[in-house]
Amino acid sequence: MSGQGLTGLSTWSRRLIAAGVLAWCLITAFPLYWVVVTAFKTPPGVVGGPTYIPFVDFTPTLQPFIDLYQGIRGEFFHTFLNSTIVGLSAAAIATAIGAMAAYALVRFEFKVRFGAGLIFFLLALGGYLLFNNNLGFTRAQALLLAFPIALVVAIVANRLPLPGPILGNEDILFWFVSQRMFPPIVTAFALYLLYSEIGRLGFQLIDSFVGLTLCYVAFSLPIVVWLMRDFFEAIPIEVEEAAMVDNVPSWRIFLGIVVPMSMNGLLATFMITLAFVWNEFLFALFLTNSKWQTLPILVAGQNSQRGDEWWAISAAALVAIVPMMIMAGLLSRMMRSGLLLGAIK
Amino acid sequence: MMRNDPIKHVFIWPAVLVVLAISIFPLIYSLTTSFLSYRLIPPIPPRVVWFGNYVTLLQEPRFWNAILTTTLIAFIAVSLQYVIGFSVALALNARVPGERLFRVALLLPMLLAPVAVALVARMIFNPTMGPLNQFLSMFGLANLPFLTNGHWALGCIIAVEIWQWTPFVVLMMLAGLQTLPEDVYEAAELENASAWQQFWGITFPMMLPISAAVVFIRLIESYKIMDTVFVMTGGGPGVDTETLTLFAYQEGFKKFNLGYTSALSFLFLIAITIIGVTYLALLRPHLEKRR
Repeated sequence: MSGQGLTGLSTWSRRLIAAGVLAWCLITAFPLYWVVVTAFKTPPGVVGGPTYIPFVDFTPTLQPFIDLYQGIRGEFFHTFLNSTIVGLSAAAIATAIGAMAAYALVRFEFKVRFGAGLIFFLLALGGYLLFNNNLGFTRAQALLLAFPIALVVAIVANRLPLPGPILGNEDILFWFVSQRMFPPIVTAFALYLLYSEIGRLGFQLIDSFVGLTLCYVAFSLPIVVWLMRDFFEAIPIEVEEAAMVDNVPSWRIFLGIVVPMSMNGLLATFMITLAFVWNEFLFALFLTNSKWQTLPILVAGQNSQRGDEWWAISAAALVAIVPMMIMAGLLSRMMRSGLLLGAIK
Repeated sequence: MMRNDPIKHVFIWPAVLVVLAISIFPLIYSLTTSFLSYRLIPPIPPRVVWFGNYVTLLQEPRFWNAILTTTLIAFIAVSLQYVIGFSVALALNARVPGERLFRVALLLPMLLAPVAVALVARMIFNPTMGPLNQFLSMFGLANLPFLTNGHWALGCIIAVEIWQWTPFVVLMMLAGLQTLPEDVYEAAELENASAWQQFWGITFPMMLPISAAVVFIRLIESYKIMDTVFVMTGGGPGVDTETLTLFAYQEGFKKFNLGYTSALSFLFLIAITIIGVTYLALLRPHLEKRR
């Protein structure tokens, strides 16, 4: 924690640098200021050219928000609830099972044979093709059958002395994180087709709470595991060792000692995940159509429906933005500067 | 110390199962579909065409255009994000007055929904009623075709990307700067090294591993860009700003050309992998030298 790097500079150049940072902050702040004031404008306040200062340039009104609440421009209230429900549950589930996996990767030793992984992939692929093409199952049924078979065989195969490298905890972590590299369009499109086929088997996943949440949990897990691993690694192991001497079972060590000690990290991870789910657009676009539509979809739709009704567009954007603004305030308060650093190493 | 306790399976399996299910299902599904000629509208029964879809795609100018557009956006946006972000981080680290005030402001943009940001950008870039137009009019540059000319539109999208994601770079670089050891700088001070020399001789090399990671994350994320473009231009004018994800969306969700779209998403996956591996291979010698 020191102010190096610029120590050799004169006061004059320090002022110049301060001015540069200030300029960047103004650039950052202006669009936010603009959307806030525009949301309170009346139609004449918009079409008459840009206006900036409420009460001086234009008379502010609450009408855009009243319109929003009354659902004149789409079911905003309902959609807001959807976003909240899906966001909170996906973030909570992802943080919970992600933290568990991260803890396991820090404290327990895992060995996965590369051969077993290969067997899993080949069996899943081959089984799917076999069931679908030769045995007359539908595509969804074939996948659902092939997956557990491949999984069970792979787990058994992992105990056999297969040739090839043995993968450890670092490799499992890498596998988790590498899921993040996947272009989501690959998953989104295939998931849409798969969900609709499962829907034909009688289990509705498209435009449903379960389908959307499941997909968000899966896509948040890599970040959660990545972030939480660093928090857990920072916890001194002596406390846990002391508990182990007393024969406290592992799950009680985790719940009773580790979780309370890393509460800050869990909370930060939860909020980051929540922000990710709240803002997510692509999956919601594919996987919902009306009942479980989330805010980004509705907000994006405002654009084409209402060309220049800026007051309405701004109010809509503001509804999507404000919860995250509040969260940014909370997050920055608990953001010790080292929070994200460990994660990128 | 690593423990070995059967309960470890209870800890790790829920996460592994969810990720495995959601990643392996679509992978197998789209891999097999990409070898089929399969459309829903008009409905024709699937037919195996092997690499037919891939060949068609590689000969399709629109595909190459999408690759070029995405690459342009990603590389220009990320390099500018890095330069601006690193500079701001350096300045904040040097205890510029009012540093704490900037923290929240800096955190904000990256937490906001890209679709909402894009909507705001549309208003600001409006050629007649927008504030940017008013500002530029003062310099005699009225009514520029911000979103209706291909090059301008690309520039505007890049500007929005920079606006939204530079804070991420600032945050990461700032965290990195604060771990640098102080004694090296004290030694440099004794040698009368200028601030400029200190930066290139000490700060930049020591920040290289973090820089590499930050740029890598941003590059991969930028390649997925869709929502910003979707709202700001919809890929237009024409297909001038169409990115890979948007192209896949149009083909898959508008035309329901399943085999083709699956092949497209696989080519996308391959492209991302090639970029990632090349990037890491190019950087590895530099990173290892420092260790």
